Amino acid sequence: MPFNQDDTRFYRQDVDSRGQTMSVDERRELLERYLPRPSELRSSSAREQVRDQKRKQRRSRRLRPYLKQRLHLAIYLIIQLLFGIFIRVRQIVSALFQKFIAVRHYHHRTPAYIQKDLKGLSRLPEHLSVILRYDARSDDGLETLLDDVAELAAWSTAAGIPLLSVYEKTGVLKQYMSAVQEIVQQKLVLYFGAPPSTPVLQVFAPNYPSLSPLPSPQINGTTNTNLNLSLLLLSESDGRETLVDLTRTLTEMAQAQKLRPKDITVDLIDTEISASTSVPAPSNNAQRTNGHKKTNGVKHDDTYLPSEPDLLIVFAPVIKLDGYPPWQIRLTEIFCVGDSGGDVSGRSRTRVEYQGFLRALWNYAGAEFRFGS
Amino acid sequence: MASKQLSTIRKWVLSSPPAEWALNQLRELLIGAIKQGEVPRHVAFVMDGNRRYARSRRIETVEGHNLGFEALARILEVCYKSGVHTVTIYAFSIENFKRSRYEVDALMDMAKIKLTQLSQHGELLDRYGARIRILGQRELLKPDVLEAMDRACDMTKHNTETVLNVCFPYTSRDEITTAIRRTVQEYSKPVKRPRTEQKRLSPFTEERITQTLKTQHRDSFQAEERLQDLEPKTLSSPSLSSASLSDFQTRLSRSQSLDAKDHDHEADTSSESSSATTNLHYELLSPSSASSPPTSYAGSPQSKPQLRPSNTTSPEHSQKELSSYPSPESITSGTITSHLFTADDPPLDLMIRTSGVERLSDFMLWQCHEETRVVFLDVLWPEFDLWQFLPVLWEWQWRGRKEEQRRRLIEGRLV
Repeated sequence: MPFNQDDTRFYRQDVDSRGQTMSVDERRELLERYLPRPSELRSSSAREQVRDQKRKQRRSRRLRPYLKQRLHLAIYLIIQLLFGIFIRVRQIVSALFQKFIAVRHYHHRTPAYIQKDLKGLSRLPEHLSVILRYDARSDDGLETLLDDVAELAAWSTAAGIPLLSVYEKTGVLKQYMSAVQEIVQQKLVLYFGAPPSTPVLQVFAPNYPSLSPLPSPQINGTTNTNLNLSLLLLSESDGRETLVDLTRTLTEMAQAQKLRPKDITVDLIDTEISASTSVPAPSNNAQRTNGHKKTNGVKHDDTYLPSEPDLLIVFAPVIKLDGYPPWQIRLTEIFCVGDSGGDVSGRSRTRVEYQGFLRALWNYAGAEFRFGS
Repeated sequence: MASKQLSTIRKWVLSSPPAEWALNQLRELLIGAIKQGEVPRHVAFVMDGNRRYARSRRIETVEGHNLGFEALARILEVCYKSGVHTVTIYAFSIENFKRSRYEVDALMDMAKIKLTQLSQHGELLDRYGARIRILGQRELLKPDVLEAMDRACDMTKHNTETVLNVCFPYTSRDEITTAIRRTVQEYSKPVKRPRTEQKRLSPFTEERITQTLKTQHRDSFQAEERLQDLEPKTLSSPSLSSASLSDFQTRLSRSQSLDAKDHDHEADTSSESSSATTNLHYELLSPSSASSPPTSYAGSPQSKPQLRPSNTTSPEHSQKELSSYPSPESITSGTITSHLFTADDPPLDLMIRTSGVERLSDFMLWQCHEETRVVFLDVLWPEFDLWQFLPVLWEWQWRGRKEEQRRRLIEGRLV
């Protein structure tokens, strides 16, 4: 328990004098007044406490810890009950709040509305990443997942975000890469109009050959839009497995005497890992308006889009990274859409909603940035 | 004015002995209640917000760090009383070396004093079985701090009940890099394999090959026999040693149905004379095994120095061929995990970051990217106390229970 007033003052005096005021014994006395008995720490059930007290052999001594444990159990159950109610209330409140925002800010499938919602933000992420979950058990799990990806792609393009990476643990999106491209392209046409004003879409996945952009009937062979979107699909194998593969390659090189272990530095691994998920920047990269500052001090090659996400949106009630590649999220802002009822543990399908996307970007713009110093 | 007086009155009331006693009893009660449910085994804290707190209260930054240390003591107390086994704290990042020299020196000083004081209370730590570990890149610290660190760590090395990991100075990328480097170093050490282990699995068995060779020789021998008399001929087949040649011939002349016996005999003699023969393709034959010899095949990827078959006669050459490198294919994510600083700790269950910043900032990236619940709180670290920490634990317990119920429901449905 925290020290009482006099002890606190005494302790702080000691700290100010760099440990010279109190002697070792004085400090020990001070602490021992507050430290619990070791038996209390280890034992949690009445039976163990009773065993400790058995030497005493007095009924009142045995009764007391037993009653205490019963009391704790009762309080635990009451707290869990009350807390459950509190969580439900909080879910209702947050659901109402989210509905309110959803009603006030609806995209109406028009990029202009989306841009209006994001006007005046001090910064936008260059690389946006989301964590989605595929519900294999429901019948239309894949369909809704693809639709979610398409919606997110459309919103990101409208917001002017050049790179969107979608993480889905099982990697089912990578298996259906061409379907992803088709559906996202259709959604972009829905939002932005028929080609040639459709943004240029490219879909990538690490270790898979990139798909060529879909051919679209163009009037004079060029597109008159400078919007484009690169979509990167990630899965669990891009996390630890990639680092393990890198370790294996480095081991082979070391065994063949081409590399010394002490040559393995953070920069070497960083270069390799970012190369594995790197996405080349499209040729017409002049889509960002000048009002947005550069996000962080990390310099990156302009021929590639940044491999570290600036913002990571978790579409689940709680933040669990679920195997997202660990190396790249060193400085990423993580935003959770929040718990709005229905799905407590976050294992069923995620709900991708426009208001979640908006709130994440608003939060990102308001976030302060300090890089170590 | 009235509010200021109210706040002073409130402070006076709260610090009076009966109020303090009541508050302490309440704290004990709540902590005891927490223990009745499931408690995370490994909790990590990012202690952020000391400087902002000092700025807002207009006190020195160093004073803010001291108050942060007091908050740490409070939280550690709550954690260990609730039954948490391992607590990891992010004390100092390698990036923090960029701060002003004054502040860095003050922090190092504080660390040194606290560690020295800790070393003086050895028996207190032993009583609770507490262990302190310092994780991070030691080369960046000055020797006097290192000395205090090592003393505190060595003194508590044998305790196993509760562990405090202090990450100082630490960066998660650096930890992963060090783990990879250690793995590569471990796998670059040649390993002497015992002789019995050198069999290689392959669909080709020795027996069949020797059988085929024998039939070939027999056929050619018989053909020659019919042409000439039983003239002892030195067969030029590479699979027979000169010692067994006469045996073979006599047996063959007697009967032709002793193939199995011949084969065994041949195998025995071959193994005995393996190091002496010049043209043997295989090296180690134990009579009991049926696997094929490690023939030199070019099927393996070229960069792996595999076991090379011995084509030479001298015994020391065959001895050298026995050592090889462990195969890189056996590296898994578990290998890297076991080389991290936190290899001995239970998996991370809960990570809490204070001060409203919603980043991981290079802390425990490898450990927390799978099943760890990450919580961002809006309170500054020096103000962090039981009242902000308990709701996090309550929520953890509540969700854990719901998850358990759901899982039981699914299992019930499947069964």
